[in-house]
Amino acid sequence: MPDQMTPVLSDSKEKIQQKESDIKMHAEREQSKYPNHEQQILKGNFAAAEGSKLSRAGFIPAYPITPQTTIIEAIAAKIHRGEMDATFINMDSEHAVFAAAMGGAMAGERVFTATSGQGLFYAHEVLHAIAHFRLPIVMCNVGRPSIPWNIWSDQSDSIAQRDTGWVQYYGESGQEVLDTIIQSYLLAEELDVPVMVVLDAFYQSHTSENVWVPSQDLVDKFLPPRPEKGNGIDLAHPKSLGGMVSPEFYEDFNYSYWKDINKVEDLTNEIGQKFKSTFDREYGAIEAINIHPGTKKILVTLATITTTARGVIKHHPDVGILKIRLFKPFPKKSILNHFEAKQIDPLKCKLLTVDRNFLGDNEGALMQEMRRALYGHKYQIHGVYAGLGGKDMPPDTIEKIIVRELKDTDEIIWIDNE
Amino acid sequence: MHSGAVGCRGCGWSMIARHISSILGEDTVYIVPACCFSIIVGQYPMNAMKGNVVHTLFAAAASTATGIRAALDRQGKEHATVVVLAGDGSTFDIGLASVSGAAARNENILYICNNNGAYMNTGIQSSTATPYGASTTTDPIPDYKKTWPKDLMGIMTSHHIPYVATASPAYMEDFRNKIKKAKDMQGFRMIMVDGPCPAGHKTDPSKSISVSRLAVDTNLFPLYEVENQRYTINVKPNQKIPVEKCLELQGRFGQLFKNGNSAEIQKIQDHADEGWIELLKKEGIETEEYRILE
Repeated sequence: MPDQMTPVLSDSKEKIQQKESDIKMHAEREQSKYPNHEQQILKGNFAAAEGSKLSRAGFIPAYPITPQTTIIEAIAAKIHRGEMDATFINMDSEHAVFAAAMGGAMAGERVFTATSGQGLFYAHEVLHAIAHFRLPIVMCNVGRPSIPWNIWSDQSDSIAQRDTGWVQYYGESGQEVLDTIIQSYLLAEELDVPVMVVLDAFYQSHTSENVWVPSQDLVDKFLPPRPEKGNGIDLAHPKSLGGMVSPEFYEDFNYSYWKDINKVEDLTNEIGQKFKSTFDREYGAIEAINIHPGTKKILVTLATITTTARGVIKHHPDVGILKIRLFKPFPKKSILNHFEAKQIDPLKCKLLTVDRNFLGDNEGALMQEMRRALYGHKYQIHGVYAGLGGKDMPPDTIEKIIVRELKDTDEIIWIDNE
Repeated sequence: MHSGAVGCRGCGWSMIARHISSILGEDTVYIVPACCFSIIVGQYPMNAMKGNVVHTLFAAAASTATGIRAALDRQGKEHATVVVLAGDGSTFDIGLASVSGAAARNENILYICNNNGAYMNTGIQSSTATPYGASTTTDPIPDYKKTWPKDLMGIMTSHHIPYVATASPAYMEDFRNKIKKAKDMQGFRMIMVDGPCPAGHKTDPSKSISVSRLAVDTNLFPLYEVENQRYTINVKPNQKIPVEKCLELQGRFGQLFKNGNSAEIQKIQDHADEGWIELLKKEGIETEEYRILE
């Protein structure tokens, strides 16, 4: 609400009446911005829990770990109050959580769960199994790193699961997380691949925002019940699931997975458009901010760093942001198409990836992925390590990244260590 | 079961699987972690059982079963039996946390452990179920295992589940009765079966039943049930047969009969006797000495 609408001491009685009427009209206009929605103040984790409820997830195996715990607590509370029809089971570890999720999904349930850091690492074995069993499970990961021990915002854990086969979306806000969970079930159940929706620890999971919460009816219009595909546990038509596969047949399974994973980018964009026609909010594999033929630097970001950067680039008209929403499989096509459409010249525009992850490699993950995607095009890609272990990234840090002089060869920059 | 399952000659799994299957019927979902049975029941694209078989990760059987049970119950299929068929490697070692968790939640699951006393599927390596005195590839000849196996029955009874029992292919009627009884109960039910394994025990395949019978009759593998914390011993031998009679038939205990290791055999005898006395007490028979019961 604009500042000038707030009544002040010096206002006359008429002025106050006028302002109060303006406030009322503003509120009504806001409320009608998204019909069939209710505006709620929600922390990121609570938006995630709401997303799972609206998606009618029916089986929630759970185990606590900071900072995802309030997701499962919120879900347990919803179920207990009769607001959500789901079976909630307190499992004995994250390995057990994902094994139970696997069993539940094999038997036809729509499954949701959440974890973080060490929990995700512990479940790694099962993540591979779930993906290659082609089970459409959706989970939230509230990211934190490995060792040194740390519970704060870092994307090393989810990125380290790149190779499990799970699709990964990174959300910038509570709104995005809620909306993405709903879209994820649609994608997961069409292609039979699991999806991980990643939140930034504390900055996103534990901070409050205005979130437009769609009505159950609206979500039901968009997301039908999980389709029966006849390849799960079936009492009437028993089968064996997961028996040992010899070298003769093995490749067939990977080939079929390969074909489906190659559909994810286009389907992400398609579902994002479909979401817009139902909910009036648009999504895609990437989001480009202030990228035009005159852009000289593009920050490549994941999750909440994007929000801070949006504010900073207001003072830097020749700096743009490429926000990656679909991280895995990496949206090469969307990026190249957009760069071409905006005539981004490799000789005039430098790319700076902001890597809030460390994987024991020279380059951070975003830098690796951008190099891979832009192979053959002559872009300079500089990598910036920043915000590791939850280190705050205030506007000043983004400013530092933007104004730092860049050499003509790709550099690795530790922005807080220079 | 369908014919063509690939068990070794004299294998315990092969003997018990068709009895389990015929008693439990077709509305059964079997969850099988890595173990001999996961191979016996068939590689892709085959399935020897007439029910659904879910091959799952080594440490995850009871957890996977938990998810399947929850799903079936949500779908109104409470009548379907969810059964884990696992070996001792998964149950005693890598999957113990998963088993304990499911038992602590009293999940409505029947868990059958075929205990052949080692990681047989990978070629006879020691597990914490391997008996004292047995040689394996990781407690190799001329050495042998010098620690006692875990008391899985004790562990499971401390979870306050409705049914814990041992069973043996040598006492088939008792075995079948236990499966039938367990089938009709609710909650977490555990049956540990003594699994003969000619390859790993170095026994004559044709002697699997007689060796197993001796294991019961020498008190090396007592047959009993614990139903809601009440103990019932199912077979009470009417004569005392020395454990040696059972051990000498198994090549894996060969080292105990060599090089002055006879004290080890006495240790095993004492351990079996003490176990039997404790078991009698649990059934309510007061005794401080080994007793033959009329």
